[in-house]
Amino acid sequence: MKKRKSGLTFWQKIVKDRTLILMCIPAILFFFLFSYMPLPGVYAAFVKFNYRDGIFGSKFIGLDNFKFLVTSGELFNLTKNTILYNLAFILLGNLLAVFVAILLNELRSKMFKKVSQTVLFLPYFISQVLVGLLVFNLLNFDTGFVNSILAGLGRERWQPYSDPGVWPVLLVIIYLWQQTGYNSVVYFASIMGIDGEMMEAAKVDGANGFQRIRYIILPSLKPTIVILLLFALGGIVKGNFGLFYNIVGTNPILYPTTDIIETYVYRASMVSFNFSTASAVGLYQSIIGFVIVMTVNWIVKKIEPDYSLF
Amino acid sequence: MANKDKDFMESGAKVKIGTSDKIIRGFGYAFITLYAFCCIIPFLIIVSSSFTSEAVIRAEGVQIIPKDISLEAYKMVTKSGGIWKSYALTIIMTLVGTTLGMSIISMTGYALQRKDFHFRNAISFYIYFTSLFSAGLAPYYLLMTQTYHLQDNYLAVLLPLLMSPWLIILMKNFVKAIPHEITESGKIDGAGDMRIFVSLILPMLKPALATIGLFLALGYWNEWYQSSLFLGSKVAVKPLQFTLYEVVNKIDALKNSVAGQFVNIADIPQESVKMANAVLATGPIVLLYPFVQKYFISGITVGAVKG
Amino acid sequence: MKKKLLAALLTASMVAGLTACGGGSDAPADNSSQADNSAASTDNSTESADNGAASADSSASSGDTASSDDPWANVDTSEHVVITYMTTGDTPSGTKEKYDEMMTQLNAILTEKVNAELDINFISWTDYLSNYNLTLARMDGSVDLVGTASDWLDAWPNAKNGAFLELSEDMLKTYAPKTWESVPAENWELCKYDGEIYLIPEDNYAQWTNHGFIYRLDWAKEAGLTDGVHSWEDLTEYFRYVKTTYPDIIPWDSDGTQQAQMAGGWIASHSNYVPIDGINAGAMWGGTRDDLYTVYCPFMTETDSLVEYAKMMKEWDEIGVWQTDVLNNRSSTNRDDYRVGTVAAEQHHTQTWTDLVSPTPANKIYQDNPNAESGFFYFGEETGNVTALSITHGAMAISAGSANPERALMVYDLLRNDPECYKLFCYGVEGVSYEITADGLRTTPEGYNQDTDNINGTTNFWWGRNDDLEVLDASRDWDKINALYDEYDKIKIEYPYGQFVANVDPIQAQIQNISEIHDSYMKQISYGKYSGTAEDIVAEYQAALTAAGVDDVTAELQRQFDELYK
Repeated sequence: MKKRKSGLTFWQKIVKDRTLILMCIPAILFFFLFSYMPLPGVYAAFVKFNYRDGIFGSKFIGLDNFKFLVTSGELFNLTKNTILYNLAFILLGNLLAVFVAILLNELRSKMFKKVSQTVLFLPYFISQVLVGLLVFNLLNFDTGFVNSILAGLGRERWQPYSDPGVWPVLLVIIYLWQQTGYNSVVYFASIMGIDGEMMEAAKVDGANGFQRIRYIILPSLKPTIVILLLFALGGIVKGNFGLFYNIVGTNPILYPTTDIIETYVYRASMVSFNFSTASAVGLYQSIIGFVIVMTVNWIVKKIEPDYSLF
Repeated sequence: MANKDKDFMESGAKVKIGTSDKIIRGFGYAFITLYAFCCIIPFLIIVSSSFTSEAVIRAEGVQIIPKDISLEAYKMVTKSGGIWKSYALTIIMTLVGTTLGMSIISMTGYALQRKDFHFRNAISFYIYFTSLFSAGLAPYYLLMTQTYHLQDNYLAVLLPLLMSPWLIILMKNFVKAIPHEITESGKIDGAGDMRIFVSLILPMLKPALATIGLFLALGYWNEWYQSSLFLGSKVAVKPLQFTLYEVVNKIDALKNSVAGQFVNIADIPQESVKMANAVLATGPIVLLYPFVQKYFISGITVGAVKG
Repeated sequence: MKKKLLAALLTASMVAGLTACGGGSDAPADNSSQADNSAASTDNSTESADNGAASADSSASSGDTASSDDPWANVDTSEHVVITYMTTGDTPSGTKEKYDEMMTQLNAILTEKVNAELDINFISWTDYLSNYNLTLARMDGSVDLVGTASDWLDAWPNAKNGAFLELSEDMLKTYAPKTWESVPAENWELCKYDGEIYLIPEDNYAQWTNHGFIYRLDWAKEAGLTDGVHSWEDLTEYFRYVKTTYPDIIPWDSDGTQQAQMAGGWIASHSNYVPIDGINAGAMWGGTRDDLYTVYCPFMTETDSLVEYAKMMKEWDEIGVWQTDVLNNRSSTNRDDYRVGTVAAEQHHTQTWTDLVSPTPANKIYQDNPNAESGFFYFGEETGNVTALSITHGAMAISAGSANPERALMVYDLLRNDPECYKLFCYGVEGVSYEITADGLRTTPEGYNQDTDNINGTTNFWWGRNDDLEVLDASRDWDKINALYDEYDKIKIEYPYGQFVANVDPIQAQIQNISEIHDSYMKQISYGKYSGTAEDIVAEYQAALTAAGVDDVTAELQRQFDELYK
């Protein structure tokens, strides 16, 4: 990399890279218009919003909008829940996705591959509300499918909706079930991009299936895995509202293990709606996410510059 | 080229199948079958419920095999005829958005992975940063409506979904797998960056384009959020998923709010209608998947092109 | 040409909106109307020509100078404007055709009388709170009339935060004269904040939204409650009977979201607590009938009563009044189930009962079973503790960003007071969507189809209904309804805190946290889903409230009460 620290001036660089810059212009413009333009609006987190004065004319009230979150005494638990769930989603999600992509790649029946890949994708299309409904039909105490079987077998009924302890596992399973088809597409496409000659050479050399996976496929997936993980880290304080709200709902018995920042804030906003509180919460999440990503990216860059995000 | 490579690989596979390969395959078939089973059952339940009469659902709950086939729910959903217009709208948006998004994303992705591009880090960071910090709902809404005047305009749905930092970084990562020598060889032949990209790089990006295109298309197809913000009651034709979102969420939202203490809603959507909506809203995109899929199953590999 | 004018108007209001935005707080409402006038004048020549033709047509009937019944004879309405009315609710879909027809007829009248037309901006129920407030925040003239409510739509916070236009007496007298006259002075007082009127109350419409339990009177009689259910204890007995006698029936298939109403109902039934509206969903602060202006939080003081409540709800849970997993039972369709007789009770307010008690086509129980009857146990019945609805439960406001506040008021005045407009807007086209019987009741015409022809209840005019013009629905059982209304009238007090607009800014964080605590504990208590003893859970709940600063809130509200009432 260092060799490129050439003596070009800024303008010379621009001239030299003009086509590449032009190729980036639509994207630069896009992010400017839809992401950077609204950004000064984070100021809303620090004002008491007045309709007539708009965001920038409203009265500055400092950190008052953060007070509700901080004084609730829940902030730590909510942040912890959000981060732990996301960690599980990111790590297990990618693990399973890689696993499924590799398995599918090893299979030889084209028909089976095609059909099963489509089928694995199906849960992604089921709207979260309906997922919540299906889960309730599966697990509820009185008429749920699982309990009907348990009762039929003469076993004691299972009562997950009164047991906060089981939800971390259940929610992770539901997440994996729903997202793996989608996530594995990326890895599947990456495997397709692996040099075919390399695979053949390995076969000719007598490498068995496990060795091929271990020494060729996994190493070539590594950059993709690292980058996707790194990217996901940025959103680690942002919870998956749809999943939690639709499956846990507003059952306070389950809150200790299932309440995340988004669901808490949503419930608060249903009681009293306030633009500024929402902005304050968003800013809090962004800052924590930013710190985490900058740290991790810095470490990755030290170890393996090619894998860093920027 | 693709076929040659595929045949090559398959004949190779036929020659020797080691024990370990057999284990992997045996396990693979078993695992994937089981997993697929878990995925298809809920979907069957939804389809079956949509064909069940409301009375039966109330009395006996949702079923995997419908007891009696009833088209009641579909008649309800398609009654006003609005759904066909929604279909047309969603299909057009998906096509336009995906095409446009794919072209921009692939161009940007290519430029950003070029090691000799001086601004790659700066621009990458510029794009990535937006995934960390967002302004929040109110500033975004006010900008879109007051400054860009996009209220009740389909562009308010089309534009924001064109790309995302995630898709660009994904694309950048895909392009990275293409050896830099190809760009170099293009340069030696005297081709400009755009030429190199269009005639040398793009043809090799089919699996990547299929992936990104699929994600974009899914994004457009499943979109309801921008619609709920910007397409007000004056817009007669709404995207498909927005209609579904409304039908399944309305009552729940009301019950959990203060308004629920006072307001009565006359028509509570029936279970079967929700399911029918879900089937109509997902059906076509599920059918689309196998077409895109062929690029994953027999994608053009880099090696084949290089040879 | 209309389009051209509209475009000019739109551009003008957008420009105005922008300058208002940049210019900070210098009276954007004034700004925008000025900008608007100038834009209008550019297009005025053609407009007035058109207008001349129109007035020539109608001068015979309602010549604008001669007629004395045109209250706006001196108002300049030469410019045609579109007034947008924002309401929560669903955009008509199945009934779209009839809705359009109604709007065309209505707009013809509005154009003739005040040269304006009405356009409805429906804010759908999903995410209504954020979409409603975001639309208000635009302030670019995109909304003129705003339906609001002090108890469920943040009318006062929005007024205080500049969303609504101050309505001067002159304005109201000039542009909404009939409304101005019909609302008594003391009611206007209740619509003021800081000396300015912000809301036009729906104060001439009889309705009761006090909560209670709707139940099967015929089954209660079977259970030995010959006289019906009149207390929480009776309810316990009723549910127990239903559960044992009709094992297939879930007594009340609740969806687990009624905790606030039930807890509030229990308190009302066991004390003379009178809650203040609009502070939080739980209505946790108020006074008593004997001492209205001493603020307290009954959930802190009525400890024994709450323990008893927790015990009773545990008992209900054990009886099996609701499903075991009631707190996640979101797909419940209890009300529809009640109509067909597969559940035995519904928890909601009196207005809902007036529907369920009547032998309408939807209420199949009365067709299937001639003995079927529905009773209503209202919360507070034991102690006679019923408070009438606040007159700002429904109110109309004018957006501070409105480009045409004057015309908006005129349109509202017509919608609320003009019989023709009112009936069109509330019931639809006569002969298509409704018909009036010989007794003066409203019924459905021959060949009427509810799914495509109904207008009643779709324009959601909850901010200006008027009993002088209402046509009673023939399908309702008015004998029973009026009997209950009479009973209420004997015991009710008027809502006492109409003038009190709490300034919650200093206690916002506490209130938000208290609401969350209340909601989450009351869900567990109200559905008997707590572990440990009733005493423990109530003590835990009260300790949490104390930690969240419930006493600070009480003290602050008391301070504000003292300022206002002493």
